Amino acid sequence: MPSVSVRLFASLREKVGERQVDVEVPEGADVRALYRALAERYPQVRPYLETAVCAVDEEYVTAAHILRDGDRVALIPPVSGGC
Amino acid sequence: MFEITDQPLDPAPLVEAVHRDDAGAIALFYGIVRNENLGRRVQYLEYDAYPEMAMKKMREVADEVRAKFPVLEIGIVHRVGRLEIGETSLLVAVSSGHRGESFEACHYAVDRIKQIVPVWKKEVWEDGSEWIEGHTPEVPAR
Repeated sequence: MPSVSVRLFASLREKVGERQVDVEVPEGADVRALYRALAERYPQVRPYLETAVCAVDEEYVTAAHILRDGDRVALIPPVSGGC
Repeated sequence: MFEITDQPLDPAPLVEAVHRDDAGAIALFYGIVRNENLGRRVQYLEYDAYPEMAMKKMREVADEVRAKFPVLEIGIVHRVGRLEIGETSLLVAVSSGHRGESFEACHYAVDRIKQIVPVWKKEVWEDGSEWIEGHTPEVPAR
């Protein structure tokens, strides 16, 4: 069972209270399955997961992206940098 | 020059980095912290970033700019952490042979930074705070 390390930022980081969480997902799980696992463990982040995009190895991916052991995963809420 | 830093931004090294002898113009953009948003008085902003990816995406913005405009050099620096009213959060500098391209390219770069670079701001008011949800980055189709 792959364990995926997920980095959290902004609203998600505050709601979970951690900068990074380790989540176990079934072999061959996609990003959608990761979201389900996170929503189950942290019900308070459900509304924030709906608008967050997933990044793997610093690249945006779709919800159908298959996760692999050792992927650098991050959840990206709608961005608001600049000014 | 591309940088994510928690230190105050100085435009001089950035301008120096994009300067070339064949440049006839440098456009320099400052993003600064405003004291209000949507009618609410802002006390300060707090910026969060995914630094490794933000660096990668800032370089991607620069690549897009180079593909679209005949510019010479481009540099982007973004500050993170707590920023007070009037402080600079973003600097973008673009050099080009003639002024038109650097203005246009700089405008385009700032728009794209706000769309794809993983940086977030939290507005802090007297009676609360909120992480601002700006733009959902486009996900490449597979």
